[in-house]
Amino acid sequence: MKTLLNINDGKRVKIIKISGGRGIRQHLQCLGIHIGDIVTLKKTSFLGGPILLEVNGSQVALGKGVASKIEVEEVE
Amino acid sequence: MKIAFTGQPNAGKSTIFNGLAGYKTVTANFPGQTVHYTISKVTVGNETFEIVDLPGIYSLTALDKAELESRKYILSGQADVIINVIDASTLSRSLELTLQLAELQVPMVICLNMIDEAKRKGLEIDLARLSKIFGVPVIETIANKGIGIDKIFKSAKEAFNKKLIPQIQHFHKDIEEKISEIEKIIPADFLTNIPRRYIAVKLLEGDAELFEKIKQYPEILAMVNKLREEIKISHGKHADTVISSERHALTMNIFEEVTKIGEPQKSLREKIDDLLTNRYLGYPLLFFILFGIFFTVFEVGSFIEEPLTDFFDILIQKLPNFVSEGSFAYFILKGLLEGFSGGIGVAIPYLIPFFVGLTVLEDIGYLPRIAFLMDSIMHKIGLHGKSVLPLIVSYGCNVPGVMASRILESPRDRFITATVSVFIPCAARTTIIFGIVGAYIGGFAVAGIFLFNLFVVMILGAVLTKFIPEVTPGLIMEIPPLRIHTFKNVYMKTWLRLKDFIVVAWPLLIISSISLSLLEYFKIDEILNQILKPIVSWILGLPEQTGITLLFGILRKELSMIMLFQALHTTDLITVMTKVQLIVFTIFTVFYMPCVGTMGALIRELGIRKTIFVTLLTIAMASVLALLARFLFSMLM
Repeated sequence: MKTLLNINDGKRVKIIKISGGRGIRQHLQCLGIHIGDIVTLKKTSFLGGPILLEVNGSQVALGKGVASKIEVEEVE
Repeated sequence: MKIAFTGQPNAGKSTIFNGLAGYKTVTANFPGQTVHYTISKVTVGNETFEIVDLPGIYSLTALDKAELESRKYILSGQADVIINVIDASTLSRSLELTLQLAELQVPMVICLNMIDEAKRKGLEIDLARLSKIFGVPVIETIANKGIGIDKIFKSAKEAFNKKLIPQIQHFHKDIEEKISEIEKIIPADFLTNIPRRYIAVKLLEGDAELFEKIKQYPEILAMVNKLREEIKISHGKHADTVISSERHALTMNIFEEVTKIGEPQKSLREKIDDLLTNRYLGYPLLFFILFGIFFTVFEVGSFIEEPLTDFFDILIQKLPNFVSEGSFAYFILKGLLEGFSGGIGVAIPYLIPFFVGLTVLEDIGYLPRIAFLMDSIMHKIGLHGKSVLPLIVSYGCNVPGVMASRILESPRDRFITATVSVFIPCAARTTIIFGIVGAYIGGFAVAGIFLFNLFVVMILGAVLTKFIPEVTPGLIMEIPPLRIHTFKNVYMKTWLRLKDFIVVAWPLLIISSISLSLLEYFKIDEILNQILKPIVSWILGLPEQTGITLLFGILRKELSMIMLFQALHTTDLITVMTKVQLIVFTIFTVFYMPCVGTMGALIRELGIRKTIFVTLLTIAMASVLALLARFLFSMLM
């Protein structure tokens, strides 16, 4: 399964699964990131570090740890 | 009539509130700026409104301290009308909070703010239709330009008088059935003024606070758990995820119904944004921006400082012409003048440019971008990107730095970040570094001290995180769009911050300066110096008169230097202290004990016990590091 860390910059992906505790899930939901949503990976930072997502017109930064817990599939 | 402003972080609540109330709260282009709520009374015509600015919340599921505060207030039922402020450019996401607020059944007004930003993104919103869906007034505003905020009181009155309570948006049938099952069994005396439906939904979502409260009814708890389990089996997902997806689906439906999406306007802003967070160029830019600000602060600061302090120095020298030297009145006046000039001559010239710089960075929205850039590096010391913000603010003043640690979700991150912040040299300690090491040894030594400090801070962070291991979720943070704020906002914010210094710190500075003068008059300073002698002379190898200056540095750090000149009766330190002693003194003052103001902030954020721990830690570290410097430099010089 691919996570947000295995995706190239600029690709659009669909979120398949969010593993990890309830805290993370809720926090992501609050920022508009849900299972089934289509988001764009805007950029990956230095050292494969945090990533920047575009979700419904707003930008969200996710640390490496969080990004590794989000499984996605690429969409065209 | 009580009107509460609520909405998601960075939606512009504080800007609207300030527009209505005059400047009372600090706004920033940074999610989670308001931590305490501010209440203000505004009279329009012959009516007085009480308006409350609540911390931003993403949802009614409280995630951090600020959200808990907000939720508590809204649930307390004190507000007659809720103004749901929405950043129109993120409407789809923001409506999720609106859905939850609707469940509270309080008259409401939906305020679509930053409508210009939404238009830039190509969103066109049908206000009438949105108003019809929720059954409450919907208004448009552009708060930072003051457009539309005059409509707020009128709509709030309308919502209140006509009891315009928002329509509840219903979930799918199977979920609704479970909600009403719980609704039926909640006892009437359980949280009486909160609507049953709200409680039922939150219980199904597994809300921690409500779960704790419902424990006294084991049969209800059992029922809730059973229903949650049923949802999990039928949907294949946790109940909270199911409800959140339901809510998400509802908002997307509403969003699609009320908006037309056109072409977003590509602009220069996106290009600049792209550059600022660029994986390679972002770092040199970060360095130049921060360096530029600090450089300007010191250039501007020293330019203003010199003529001012010279003026006061001359005044103090001429003092014996008016009152006889050595008299009681002479010591009082001398202390007063020295304290007064300490504030106006030393602190303010540096504080003003720093606050302006910080405000500009904050308003533009650069701070969250710094957090993004620094995330990987902060992970190396066991923290994450958000922790870098309190540290940067601390370079100006530790008090807001410690307070900024609130933006972190986990108590462990909050504690470590607040502790580390205290070790960052604030503007006051920076003036000491420049005034002593800079003036008598040179610029490279100044840079050396800053780098040494940064090194110690990193090591300390790494050690503390090792001692309190915990898996933290890491960075999850909204990056708001870059915004250019008005000059007025920068000016008002700088003034608000400066006012804090003038009304709190400056009087303290004057009082302590007078008391030091009096200590001298009554010859008590010598006794105190004798008491401090073991540390000051034996460990640090400093002249024993410096003891008293270190004691006063606890009140305000820059006092240490100002009083050093006074205690040693000279304006040229190098004639009475060796270079090694100057370095040791500076290192000790940079690291030892947070000032009174910072301790106050620490107590508020961490509690008394942790504050004592931090204080002892700083003293211990300052002693060890200064001792180290003493031996090292004695050998070198």
